[in-house]
Amino acid sequence: MRTFTKILAVMLACMMLLPACAALAEGETVTINFWHHYSAQSAENETLMNVLIPAFEAENPGIKVNAVSHEWAELHDKVLVSANANALPDVARCDIAWLPEFQKMGILVALDEEMPDFAEASGKLLPSAMSTALIGGHSYALALNTNSKIVFYNKAMLEAAGVEVPATMDAWIEAVRQLSGENANGQQVWGWNEPALAGWNICPFIWSFGGALTNEDQTAATGYINGPAAVKAIETFAGLVKEGGITGFNAGDIPMTDGFGTGRYAMMLEGPWKSAELAGAYPDVAYGTAPIPAGEGGSVSVLGGEDIAMFNSANREAAWKFMRFMTGEYAETEMAKCGQIPVNKAALESDTVKAADYAPFIEAIQTARARPTVAAWSEMDNGLQVALNAVVTGEKTAQEAMDELAAQWDALLK
Amino acid sequence: MKRKNAARIRSAALRYLLLAVGTVIFTLPMIYMISTSLRPNGALYEYPPRFFPRWEALTAENYGYILHQSKFYLNFLNSVIVSLSTIALAAAIGSAMAFVLGKFKSRATGILFGFIIITMIIPGTTMIVPQFELATRLGLVNKLWGLIPFYVAWVIPFSTFMIKGFMENIPGEIMEAAWIDGADVWTVYTRVALPLASPAIASVSIFNFLTAWEEYPWANTVINDSSKRTLPIAIAGFFGQHQFTQWGYVFAMSVLTLIPVVLIFIFCQKFFVQGLTAGSVKG
Amino acid sequence: MITKSRMNKAQIAGLLLPGLLLFGMFTVYPIIRLFWMSLCDMSFSSMLIQPFAGIMNYREVFGDPVFRTVFVNSIAYTLVTVPGQMALGLFIAILLNGVKRFSVTFRVINYLPVVTSWVIASLVFRYIFNTEGLLNYFLWKVLGVTSGNIRWLDTRWSGLSVAMILGIWKGIGWNMVIFLAALQQVPQDLYEAADIDGCGAWKKFVNVTLPAIRGTILFALIELTIGGFNVFTSIKMITGGKPAHQTDTLLTWMYYKAFSTGKFGYAAALSFVMALSLGLLAIAQFRMMRNKDA
Repeated sequence: MRTFTKILAVMLACMMLLPACAALAEGETVTINFWHHYSAQSAENETLMNVLIPAFEAENPGIKVNAVSHEWAELHDKVLVSANANALPDVARCDIAWLPEFQKMGILVALDEEMPDFAEASGKLLPSAMSTALIGGHSYALALNTNSKIVFYNKAMLEAAGVEVPATMDAWIEAVRQLSGENANGQQVWGWNEPALAGWNICPFIWSFGGALTNEDQTAATGYINGPAAVKAIETFAGLVKEGGITGFNAGDIPMTDGFGTGRYAMMLEGPWKSAELAGAYPDVAYGTAPIPAGEGGSVSVLGGEDIAMFNSANREAAWKFMRFMTGEYAETEMAKCGQIPVNKAALESDTVKAADYAPFIEAIQTARARPTVAAWSEMDNGLQVALNAVVTGEKTAQEAMDELAAQWDALLK
Repeated sequence: MKRKNAARIRSAALRYLLLAVGTVIFTLPMIYMISTSLRPNGALYEYPPRFFPRWEALTAENYGYILHQSKFYLNFLNSVIVSLSTIALAAAIGSAMAFVLGKFKSRATGILFGFIIITMIIPGTTMIVPQFELATRLGLVNKLWGLIPFYVAWVIPFSTFMIKGFMENIPGEIMEAAWIDGADVWTVYTRVALPLASPAIASVSIFNFLTAWEEYPWANTVINDSSKRTLPIAIAGFFGQHQFTQWGYVFAMSVLTLIPVVLIFIFCQKFFVQGLTAGSVKG
Repeated sequence: MITKSRMNKAQIAGLLLPGLLLFGMFTVYPIIRLFWMSLCDMSFSSMLIQPFAGIMNYREVFGDPVFRTVFVNSIAYTLVTVPGQMALGLFIAILLNGVKRFSVTFRVINYLPVVTSWVIASLVFRYIFNTEGLLNYFLWKVLGVTSGNIRWLDTRWSGLSVAMILGIWKGIGWNMVIFLAALQQVPQDLYEAADIDGCGAWKKFVNVTLPAIRGTILFALIELTIGGFNVFTSIKMITGGKPAHQTDTLLTWMYYKAFSTGKFGYAAALSFVMALSLGLLAIAQFRMMRNKDA
């Protein structure tokens, strides 16, 4: 029994001591927690873990970086939950669409007010990218990378079906139909893959069809998301889903990269990181790229990208150093090698970036539009997904679902 | 007589046949998991799909990746620390409560026991919101050891319930003898009750181990750092990258996670059955 | 007499104290807190400031069409998996009860799914039931019973069925063990008497076995009902609530509301309703058990 008590005592003592030990160790070095959504087994994550962080730690003795990878949607939720749990990281890589929401919660540091050398740091980055961090006259982040989506198509499949790369939406509809069907094994193939039904996925269609999500001021949705052009885009999309031309957003579908790599999806709309991913997992697949087909609204893709932001609870000095490092020429050039388009002016001029052929993406960015930059976007996006699901399953017509959604959005935008 | 024998043989044959079919159904998913973990990721979408990989295609590369490239050993260690701490604390606290509640019966202890039992009815996950708030206030979010008090609190009702049944069956004379010798409560608990109740404690501990080893919702909610993740969250995290699921890695990690559990189960089978049936037969 | 000594009293208190503290803090306090939170207006930006809101959250829960969907899903899951596991578990227990050789081997193998973690088992099932997965290939191309791939994970009821099949697969072993123990305690002379009366196997089962193991059946019923409403990890891993929360259950929906949208008050109200109704249900079942035993 003595031993029993002893074990218990030791264990309790350990539980008490652990945090103390941790605090002791922290006395010598500062650890910055950095959350991101580079996927865990990607080239980007390897560059981050094996190249960038070691380089940063060597440059800045006394600062350690604890990088934590979350899945994209989970990162958003974790930040919101942790804000209440006082467990926020110091720095996070945030989707540009999240910043208004985080800013509204009051968890972000206004960098232009707090950092004396903010002007110098932001001056090295593209002004257009920096504008994503500007909310209510203050800058809450540094731009980290930018992107947009373009069409990736499987060359062999288009050739076999005798289909030209679609340049217009009408041609695209035909192409999706012709590319869908069965392959030699009798397996179903689809002309188009769309991995989700969120704004990131459907916006390019709405815009290219000439529609809009909200008015210019982002204060009203009725007449826009349920306007004729947006409804037509959604009807067209849902029609192709029902015909068996589009899939990818269902739980049982083949994941996007695997399906494209194994010739089950002929086309997809994806960002610059896809090239590195395909080169790693399916090096044999021959593919080409093209801008999103033009409709009545032109060829309009969606503007993506990430900013790097600092939270209120951060160790500001160390966090700022890390943010400047990540947006510096060296880090941006390294990340450019695995599909992250830099926003650092010097990195953009480097040979690596010029060799990486981001031209089609940079061209797409010129005409791309941003998702609504409002604090309620995440909630609006959830509503959009539910509405789109009702349309593709035939539960509601596109007009009904969008009318309901518009009313819901109007309330959120007030 | 002969006809009766033939009927008996036929009935036995039918039993074995049905049991064999059942066994195949029970094990197929697990075998498929193991077989998937042994093939290269590229072969996962081969056509036609195969239940067993081709002999030439067998590979241990998924295991190599998990053991060398991922933080598996860290996740494993985290799970071991949390599970062992949970069962040690639960055994100490649960047996002490069971001893008092089982051997010093009064109105008060009866009410207390009833109260503890009632909380067993509430599904654990329903309390995740207030428990998260509590963890926040106590600063237990994103701390590995912060999982332990919650796990212990969850398993205490069951542990107390099980061990109490055993304590009650300790013959009164043994304790009487100790009292007459002038022993105090503490001595009787440690010298008499604990050794006699050790089989019950062992079987409870196995169940508690399983609970802590596989717990997912709570750990996934409060743990952020990848170096603090326990095995279930680590596996789910591997799966999470939805555009590109590497099933080979997922299942290699799953197999490695299941090995200790299966070993414990096979070697401690007796305690398992004992623990399960004690609750049900008593009703 | 023993408890009279002051030292012994202190020691008894000392033995109870750690358990009571832990239990009070991490179980009892959250239950009370849950009720209080369900009456407060809490969101992401105000988790720690909680204005009182009366029954607003309850109104919101009961007026929510998604709540009705997930409620029906949970009920359906429980109604299918509980009898399913019990019947199959009892069946295997009866088979095993008459078998001498390999009894332990069968028992161990049948129990393996129970010790497999939910996360792992769910991922295996998701992989098997993939639209392009092995099962569809087997049904279509090998057996020829279907004329195409079934989209198991993509619709409400098929997605839930996969979770139900997993629930049954994982639960049979537990039922088998407790029913086997119960069967072994049924007095043999009851069967002999039935033999003399000329009862067939089915009649013996209905008239002798079932009444004799009634206590165990009720015990399993209570435990499994609680377990059925507790379903969480399998849904999260297999369908993730897709499409559009159609396959969510009470707890996965509660979790989504709390940790993805920050509606902690809503989640607390939903949890409280659930805990309360399950508690009442279980007490009713307990009562039933006691009355019949007496």
